[in-house]
Amino acid sequence: MPVTYRLAKDFNVAANIIRAQVAPNQIGKLVVELSGDIDQLDAAIEWMRSQEIGVSSSSREIVIDEESCVHCGLCTGVCPTEALTLDPTTFRLAFARSRCIVCEQCVATCPVEAISVNL
Amino acid sequence: MLNPLQQTVLQLGLYLFTGSLESVLAYLDLLLPTCMRTIAEINEKIQQQKAVVWTVEELKARVVEQGIAAVAKQVDVITTGTFEPMEASGAILNLGHTDPPIKIRRCWLDGVPAYSGFGAVDLFLGAAQSTETPEGEEPRELGGGHVIEALIGGKTVHLRALGQVTDCYPRASFETTITRDTINQFYLFNPRNLYQNFIVGVNGGDRLLHTYLGPLQPRLGNAVYSNPGAIAPLFNDPKLQLVGVGTRIFLGGGIGYITWEGTQHFPLQKRLPNQTPIGPAATLALIGDAKQMSTRWVRGCYFKHYGPSLMLGVGVPFPVLTEEVVAHCAVQDQDLVAPVVDFSIPRRVRPTFGLVSYAQLKSGRIQIEGKPVRVAPLASIYLSRQVATELKAWIEAGEFTLTEAVAPITSDRTFLPQDVWGSQMVMD
Ligand code: SF4
Ligand code: SF4
Repeated sequence: MPVTYRLAKDFNVAANIIRAQVAPNQIGKLVVELSGDIDQLDAAIEWMRSQEIGVSSSSREIVIDEESCVHCGLCTGVCPTEALTLDPTTFRLAFARSRCIVCEQCVATCPVEAISVNL
Repeated sequence: MLNPLQQTVLQLGLYLFTGSLESVLAYLDLLLPTCMRTIAEINEKIQQQKAVVWTVEELKARVVEQGIAAVAKQVDVITTGTFEPMEASGAILNLGHTDPPIKIRRCWLDGVPAYSGFGAVDLFLGAAQSTETPEGEEPRELGGGHVIEALIGGKTVHLRALGQVTDCYPRASFETTITRDTINQFYLFNPRNLYQNFIVGVNGGDRLLHTYLGPLQPRLGNAVYSNPGAIAPLFNDPKLQLVGVGTRIFLGGGIGYITWEGTQHFPLQKRLPNQTPIGPAATLALIGDAKQMSTRWVRGCYFKHYGPSLMLGVGVPFPVLTEEVVAHCAVQDQDLVAPVVDFSIPRRVRPTFGLVSYAQLKSGRIQIEGKPVRVAPLASIYLSRQVATELKAWIEAGEFTLTEAVAPITSDRTFLPQDVWGSQMVMD
C-alpha cells in the first residue's frame, strides 16, 4: 500500500488498516487508524488531501448487541467511566454513550461477544 | 427406626405423661403446618389451572406485607430461577450407526474434542472443552458450550471421527455434518449445577488476572460475584428438603430432572442461623432433553484467557407444603452472605477478606479493608427472574406438574481435598 508506506516513511505515522475496499485502478475506501506525533499527523493528512485523497475522520463507537447480551453485568465492573451500569431495579444493562471513552475494556470482557467497536 | 407417625404418638404420649395440656397443644400446633397441602393436591389444582403460583420475589414482597402465616394459606407453588455460567455441564449425543459401522475413539465437533470412550457412537461434549488449535495459531474463542448452543439452535455442526478398527466395527474414520434432528439422543447431563451460594472474587495482587469470574483487576480494582442471591433456587430451600432425586425442573427452556447430588456437593458448609451456607455448599446434577431447549436459556460463553463455558437457565419449583417453606423462601439479600476471596494467591485455600451480604453486592459496591470496590455480578439477575416467571407461566397453564422426590440428596457429604496440607475453605 504506497499510501501507508509514504505515511510511515515521510511522516513517521503508523497506519493500522481496519477495513479496505480497494480494487486495482479504481476508487476505493480505506479505513485506517493513524498514530504518530500530532503535528506530523496533521502534516500527513494535509499531504493526503494534496494527493486528492478524500480524508474524513470518524470516531470509534461501542456497539452493544441487544440480542446477544444476557445482562450478566460483567462489563460493568471493568468500565472505568461507569458508562456501563446495571439498572438498580430491573438489572438490565444500561449504556450511557456520552460517558464512554472507547477504552474497549468491556469488549474483551463480555463472555458472549455482545460488545464490539464500530467505525 | 420409628416412622414419623410413631414418633408423633410417642412424643404425644410423653407430653401427656409428663406435662401440661398446654405443652400438648403447643406440640400439636408445631405439627399442624405439615398438614397444609400435599403435592398430589397441588397437582390436581395445577391440572385444573387453579393453582396459585408466585415467583419467589413476589412471595418475598408479600411476606413483608402480610406475614408468613397469611401468605402460606394463599400460595401453592413458589418458582425460583437462575441464569449463570455452569461450566460443569455437558451433552450426551448418540449418532446412530454408519454403514459400515464405526467404533469412535476420537471425535471433534466443530473442532471441539468430544469424549468417546464408551458406546461405539456415544459422545460426551463438555461445556468447558476448548477447540483444538493447530500449533502456532491463535486459539479460537470457541468451546463445547458454543457447540451445544449451536445444536440447540438448529445449526449444522461438523463432525470428524476416528475409529478403532475391529471385526464388528471395520470403519476407521468418518466425517459428516449433524443437526439436533439427525442424531438420536441429545441431552444435557450436567454433573454440577445450581451451586448453593458461591464466592466473590477479588485480586489483591498487582497483576491483572484472567479467571472463571472474568478479569479481576489488580489492587482490588473490581469484585465479581456469581450467584443471584435471594432469588437463587437453593438459597430458598437451604436444607434441600423440597428437592431430591427425580425432582422435575426447568432446564435450559425444556423439562429436566435432578438426578443426583452434584460433584463437590458440600452440604456441611458452615451455615448462618437461617440455615443458609456462608460459602459454596450443596450442588446438584441435572439432566434434560436438549432437543426441547432454547438458545434463549442455553448460551455458549468464553472468558478471555480462561476458556469456554456454558450459561444456563435453571428453574426449580417449590410446593408450599408447610409454613416453613414460606419462611425459608422469605429470606432476603441482607440475610445471605458470601466470602470475598483473593485470587492473587494461586492456592486451593485462598485467603479471604471476610463475608459480605448479597444486599451489599447488589448495591454495586462493597468495602474491602476500608476501600470501596466496584462489584459486578456474573449471574444474570435479569434472566434469572425471567426463568422464574417462565416456570410460573408453565405451571399456571397446567403444563408442568410437581414431583415427589424419589430419594433425598445426601446432607452429610464431606468435601475431600486431593492433598493433605491445609483444609477446606476456612471462613471465620
Ligand atoms: S469502551 Fe471503555 S468507557 Fe466505553 S463502555 Fe467500554 S469500558 Fe466503558
Ligand atoms: S458483559 Fe456482555 S452479556 Fe454481560 S451485560 Fe455486558 S454486554 Fe451484556
